Amino acid sequence: MSVGKQEIPASARFARWLLEWAVRHWPEETRPWGLALAAEIDETASALETVRWSLGGIMLFARSVLSGAWAWMKLPAGGSLPGASGPQGPSLLPKRSRVFTVAIVTTAALLLFLPVGREAIRTVRASWQGFQESASDQRALEELAARAEKEKDAGTLAFVALSTTDPKRAAALTERAVSLDPELIWVYGARNHRPDFDPPGEEWLARLKAADPGNAVPDLLMASALADPRVDMLYAHGTPKDADFEVLEAASKWKLLMERACGAPRYDSYFQKHYELTRAVWNRERNLPPTFIFSGLWSHAIPDLQNLMSFAKFKMYQARKARAAGDLQRAESLIGEVDVFALRMADGSGTKIEKLIALAISKSANKGLADLFASSARPQDARRVALRLDEIERSVQEMRLGSGPGGRAREQAFRREAMLLQGFGILAVLAGLAALAGVLLLEMWPGRRRNAQTRWRRALCWMADYAPATLLVAIGAFLMSFLPFQHAFAEYRASSYAMWGLMEIPEYVMGVHARVLIWAFVTITLAALLVFVLVRGIYRTRHAVSKPA
Amino acid sequence: MGLRIRLSQQTLTVLDALLSRPGQWLHGYSLSQSTGIPSGTLYPILMRLEKLHWLETRWEEVRTPGRPPRHLYRLAGTAREWAREEIRAAHERRFWKSSENEA
Repeated sequence: MSVGKQEIPASARFARWLLEWAVRHWPEETRPWGLALAAEIDETASALETVRWSLGGIMLFARSVLSGAWAWMKLPAGGSLPGASGPQGPSLLPKRSRVFTVAIVTTAALLLFLPVGREAIRTVRASWQGFQESASDQRALEELAARAEKEKDAGTLAFVALSTTDPKRAAALTERAVSLDPELIWVYGARNHRPDFDPPGEEWLARLKAADPGNAVPDLLMASALADPRVDMLYAHGTPKDADFEVLEAASKWKLLMERACGAPRYDSYFQKHYELTRAVWNRERNLPPTFIFSGLWSHAIPDLQNLMSFAKFKMYQARKARAAGDLQRAESLIGEVDVFALRMADGSGTKIEKLIALAISKSANKGLADLFASSARPQDARRVALRLDEIERSVQEMRLGSGPGGRAREQAFRREAMLLQGFGILAVLAGLAALAGVLLLEMWPGRRRNAQTRWRRALCWMADYAPATLLVAIGAFLMSFLPFQHAFAEYRASSYAMWGLMEIPEYVMGVHARVLIWAFVTITLAALLVFVLVRGIYRTRHAVSKPA
Repeated sequence: MGLRIRLSQQTLTVLDALLSRPGQWLHGYSLSQSTGIPSGTLYPILMRLEKLHWLETRWEEVRTPGRPPRHLYRLAGTAREWAREEIRAAHERRFWKSSENEA
């Protein structure tokens, strides 16, 4: 006995509705079975039976959908199941199934989700942007600052202040960081106001000088901040002559600051401290984009080196004047002051360029001394100075060549590995785009192109067949070629003495040369493709000629 | 010609029910009632048997007004002998017992 419609409770009515809905959406190839099952529901003897019968139908529906989906997945892109709506008949389809493509692309995506994959993407993407901060980088910095503010983490606040490109935000963050931890007062002297190497503001420098009185750098930064036009004009007409230095005699404030810096017992431009801070934050926040690491360090404020050279030359001019007046002792003393300051600067905690400039100043001073001793018949002192000049030359050469033959070999290895990294990165992007385009075009317009046995159709099938596998291989190779950089980054995070190597990575291999590498790779790929098409065309033509008509 | 396959206990139960009235067309609901197998399990079995050409199916010709046509099933002539053999073999292996035997 069947259940009459009037007596049907809500649960049974819902079960019927659910089954009817399932039948409406049943996959085409098994729809008759759905109709057969649904037709029996009127025979059920009770509401409970109706619900049970309907649930069985829903299970069968789910099974049919899944099995239909699996069967569909086993077909190549653009293929459709028999009985499905849309045009039928012979068509040109890829050889690989959708399952194969999905498995390959999923594996490739999983590889990129590994820690090494994420770090490789961040690094290479940053190199493609020339290590310039993007809007998303700025947002990430702001999130970092907000978290640091919540945790009262002065170090991270100082790091963000040194990395952000927004001067107002940087000033506020610097003040906050220093108020939380007065030890961070050096940040006043390290924050450069980009894009030009503008020194920090006077107020900050005065506070820094008060906190670090024995350091020459705050005075040098103050002298740079003066931007005295007499100093700036010194090189306006080429190499300055002695008469040009006369005007500097009147630049009393500048002279005072420079003399004070020259006599200071220490030279520290806080770069080592900046690096240590960066390293500490980088160790805590392993997912920091490399852009933050490099842009902060690159924009570290150092004293105006031309200013420094001008002062050294001014002192040498004063020495020449004293010598001309017959006061050889004063001349030697003036040159000696320059040399002592330069040595202090070369031995101090500064950047490579600062050390090189210091050595150049020292060399110039020692040449002056050599000249003085030669003319005043002091052969012993002249020999001592000559030895000193040889020593300076060796130091300069060592610094220019990096850290010896080992350093050069490492640099060359990095260059090679970076070429591979960039090449495989570009190949992965191109293969990914080709796979996406091939599969999407075949899936979206199967009807329109189904029977069009055109070259375009063939090209799409070729792309859908080979681009995913190429993508996987390229990503594998990309990650393998990133491993040396990952090890290098780990080394830089672990050691406080490895910073020069870190600074050289983007300079040598990723930043400056990235665009050249990209275009070289694109050109080579297109050339290879052209050769392939030509060779294939010639082969086909010969094959067609040799075949009897 | 049908194919020999490995049959589950529930499939054997369905075959037994179909063999109990050989040649007669049966409805899905009555098969479910006689075997105690729910619709979600019964229909995949019927689909499989049909795919293997063991089962003949047709739609009911005499239609009840206001109701959709019902689907009918019976074992194909050649499949009946196969089904009997499978049931006998399952008995011998003590893999399956018919409900009549149990009673």
